[in-house]
Amino acid sequence: MKTPIPHIVAKDVVKTVQLTGSELTILQDIHLTINQGATVAIVGASGSGKSTLLGILAGLDLASSGEVYLAGQPLHKLSEDERAELRARSVGFVFQSFLLLPSLTALENVTLPAELAGMPDARARGLELLAQVGLSHRADFFPNQMSGGEQQRVAIARAFITKPAVLFADEPSANLDSATGEKIEDLLFELNEQQGTTLVLVTHNHELAQRCQYRFQMHAGRLAADLTQTTEDKRHVG
Amino acid sequence: MWGKIAWRLFWRELSRGELWVIAFSLFLAVLTVVSLSGITESVRSALYQRSANFIAADKILRSSIGFNEQIQQKADELQLQSSRQVQFNSMLFAKDLMQLVSVKAVSRGYPLRGELKLSSSVADPSLVAALQPNQLYLESRLYSLLNIKVGDSLELGEKEFIAAGVIVAEPDAPLSVFGSSPRILMHLDDVAATGIIQPGSRITYRLMFAGSQQDLELLETQNKEQLGPQDRWQKMDRESAIGGALDRSERFLLLSGLLGIVLAACAAAVAANRYSQRHARSVAVMKALGATTTLSRKIYGSHLLFVVIFSVGFGLVAGQLLVQLSQWGVALWMPDYLAEFSVRPLGLGVLTAAICAVLFSARPLWRLAAVPALNVLREKPDQMKFDPVHLISGSVAIWLLMWLFSGDLWISSWLFVLCLVFAALLMGFAAVMVRVAKPMAAGQSSALRLALANLRRRLWPNAFQLITFSLALFLTLLLYFLRSELLDQWQQQVPEGAPNQFLVNLTEQDKTSLQQLAIQHNLELTEFYPMVNGRVLAVNGENFADEATKEKPEQRQGVGRELNLTWLNRIPDNNEVESGQWFSADSKAEVSVESQMAERLALKLGDKLQFSVGGQVFDATITSIRKVDWNSLQPNFYMVLSPDLMQGFPATYITAFYLNMSEQELLNQIVRQFPTVSLISVDTILKQVNDIISQVSVALTFILILVFASAVLVLVAQVQATLEQREQELAILRTLGAKSAFLKAALLYEFAALGALAGLFATILAEVLLAVVQQQFFDLPYQPHWNLWWLGPVLGVALVTVLGAWQVRQLLKMSGSTLLRRALQN
Ligand SMILES: Nc1ncnc2c1ncn2[C@@H]1O[C@H](COP(=O)(O)OP(=O)(O)OP(=O)(O)O)[C@@H](O)[C@H]1O
Ligand SMILES: [Mg+2]
Repeated sequence: MKTPIPHIVAKDVVKTVQLTGSELTILQDIHLTINQGATVAIVGASGSGKSTLLGILAGLDLASSGEVYLAGQPLHKLSEDERAELRARSVGFVFQSFLLLPSLTALENVTLPAELAGMPDARARGLELLAQVGLSHRADFFPNQMSGGEQQRVAIARAFITKPAVLFADEPSANLDSATGEKIEDLLFELNEQQGTTLVLVTHNHELAQRCQYRFQMHAGRLAADLTQTTEDKRHVG
Repeated sequence: MWGKIAWRLFWRELSRGELWVIAFSLFLAVLTVVSLSGITESVRSALYQRSANFIAADKILRSSIGFNEQIQQKADELQLQSSRQVQFNSMLFAKDLMQLVSVKAVSRGYPLRGELKLSSSVADPSLVAALQPNQLYLESRLYSLLNIKVGDSLELGEKEFIAAGVIVAEPDAPLSVFGSSPRILMHLDDVAATGIIQPGSRITYRLMFAGSQQDLELLETQNKEQLGPQDRWQKMDRESAIGGALDRSERFLLLSGLLGIVLAACAAAVAANRYSQRHARSVAVMKALGATTTLSRKIYGSHLLFVVIFSVGFGLVAGQLLVQLSQWGVALWMPDYLAEFSVRPLGLGVLTAAICAVLFSARPLWRLAAVPALNVLREKPDQMKFDPVHLISGSVAIWLLMWLFSGDLWISSWLFVLCLVFAALLMGFAAVMVRVAKPMAAGQSSALRLALANLRRRLWPNAFQLITFSLALFLTLLLYFLRSELLDQWQQQVPEGAPNQFLVNLTEQDKTSLQQLAIQHNLELTEFYPMVNGRVLAVNGENFADEATKEKPEQRQGVGRELNLTWLNRIPDNNEVESGQWFSADSKAEVSVESQMAERLALKLGDKLQFSVGGQVFDATITSIRKVDWNSLQPNFYMVLSPDLMQGFPATYITAFYLNMSEQELLNQIVRQFPTVSLISVDTILKQVNDIISQVSVALTFILILVFASAVLVLVAQVQATLEQREQELAILRTLGAKSAFLKAALLYEFAALGALAGLFATILAEVLLAVVQQQFFDLPYQPHWNLWWLGPVLGVALVTVLGAWQVRQLLKMSGSTLLRRALQN
């Protein structure tokens, strides 16, 4: 058995936002370690801070204090552009509302991250991934010509094209009916397994959470007990 | 690498119609600039050419002492064309008669502009002749006055001449309708031999130049030291009807050109804003996927660059095409119009596009690239907020454009400040109006209530919209009214049937027989103005020297020289008393002075003038200063005396009447019957003025169309932007079960309300600015524009509602779910 490599580490992360006159604490006291290749679900009530945490772990946002490491890089010390480059190389995203670029075709949407990262053979890989998500026949369709499920499959293909080390998904199946949602989830896990990607997903969906190796519960900005571990360090997973 | 993405996105946005409004706005801005500036330039050079014809040169240096040889030398260095002219009055002697004549002696090359027509026959003006030394060409009436015929010999000063023919047309004949002695033309080389020119004689020397405008300007600006106090540059005749019309048309074209540009620029700004709003989500996604801010900036910056290149390219071509096409249209009215190809309009077009792009459109795209990647995690990303920098850069751009286009820092700054004040006022106004809409909504239908609630809720975006709407409507209305007003005004000045024939030098007997003739032929004679020649000798007992001195050259001009004096009971129609009182029935020894002359001679009410008429000397007190409309083709007098003063003097009379061109025969009869009377026909002048009016009217109609197109574009851009802002809201209302007819009604009410408000603001603004422009720029009296007050609001409601309905139609056709999906995608 391999020794687990810590892949995402958060130490004492706090997030506050400045409101007119007062300061609102959205996240506090977050300690977290996720090892390479793990599948992790973050669950919690609406407004508990799941998306905020995801944003910070993925380097989309900065913590107000604390340290965050992603793929060995100290996110809290990187500039915005350095974080963008890190995302281009090592991070994939799947969003609740798909967020395909409306002016690009399915294939172009898929190849966009590869092009942004300057990878060769983007087109060939894009077609391959589209085939893998079962959408070869939709390669030249625009997002508004596709169903929600199809759009999300394109989004998944897009997320995997750079062979990211980590994939973040925020409610990937929330906007889909349950059958379609399930297919999407299957795809996610399938590709995750194939590529050995670390998968971090935020969900309300209990069944989806169950399919992950590890589950965290967010509660009012705090990370509650890891629902899967019984070891003494409950927040160290993988 | 990014280039590929940028290029692909660009084409996609283009084919999706995303960039069209911005491209079209820029295109329209460039088109407006290129075509307007090209056509204006062509019109201007034709008008300039034509006005040059009236002074027979492009520029004239007038002197009372002699030709300024230093200036002549400089002009030669600049390789300008030149010719010389001397004018003086003298007695012309025939065998047994003599006559005071006004002599013009010209050098070879005269005229540099316009056409001199001489004929060797009094009866047949088509027998073309050319001026030779030893010849005199005379105004035709001299032949009867002196009882001579062509070929007879004449004496002028000490030299003998041959009467070689008649002057048919002289480009620089004085436009003043009366008061000149009969004119004769001779060769400059003969002047010395006449011996007339002695020190102290009253003579005007003219150096006349023609050439490129730059060289001419150089000649004037670089040689200020070379001018003596007696030298004066003469521009085109400002006091003539034509000079006035030209002057005003030039300013007007300039001003209205500005309007179109500013509007198109606003459309570009609105469109760029909208583009940024629409793409905020896409940028966030790209950044989440690893694009840096710099990269996004490059991608969207290049979009702007592509759009600019694209629009500028098409704009330049289309603009130039319009200039060429104008040849057909304008030449109908203006046969000497020549569509010119010139680089300046093209350069202006490119510069305008650059200013619009950088200052109006770049800022939203700059901000677009700064959208945080985090937005991808927000369900509903914040709308881009109001951007003061964009407002400032846009304002600077407007000011720059005004400056660029008017070439006048003062006018542009003045207009700009005015616009700022108006915008601030509007903003406040809008806020108040939208707020008070609430109580109005109570008890209205629910669609109306929703509309008013919406208006109130989006107070600031609406206030901004209101400003754009108002601005667009305002500029259109302003131009429309100014246009018709100017044309009316000009037409009034030269009304149909205005007197076009003047009879000067009528004696008391002529007066009665002419009246009979008029009755016979159904002619309507104007008043008979009595006229005597006289001089002002002294002011308040202080004599005027005959010669101009160096210290007070200005003051002396026009005094001491012969003036046409008249006496009247009633003030002439086109005169207005500025200060003092017009004569009453028992006025004794009073005089009324024209205001410009009063200023020039530093005369004021109460001053005592000493006159000399026919050897008799008398005093008169100034009791009124009159403003005279020199643009009117009416007999105008600098000095009008109270009737009591002049009773005893033998006067001649002047009168005028309108004669149809087809009744030429009657004119000949009059000339035969009154051989000593001079007949002056201003028909050609009237026709020229009418020509200018028609040309300007065509040009203005064209500009109006462009401005209107820009205004509509602004409205479309703005309506589109607002509708997109509410896609989501509409989607929600639809899913909540609101019927599309209801939503449509609510939206239309909202647009109608906005349109009405905007129309009202535009009307107020237009009325204020019309008043200012009328008085400050065009010297027209202020009148309220009643039509404006219904046209403005009606136009506002109609335009905004129709455009709104047109856009809403597409939006509401979509099913609730499509709408929802689109809303979520953007
Ligand atoms: N920029 C911000 N300003 C103010 N409040 C914020 C901001 N960002 C997040 N919040 C607040 O922080 C809390 C957590 O937000 P977050 O989006 O992380 O919740 P979530 O767990 O993802 O909820 P959901 O399940 O509904 O997506 C919410 O109450 C939200 O209103
Ligand atoms: Mg969330």
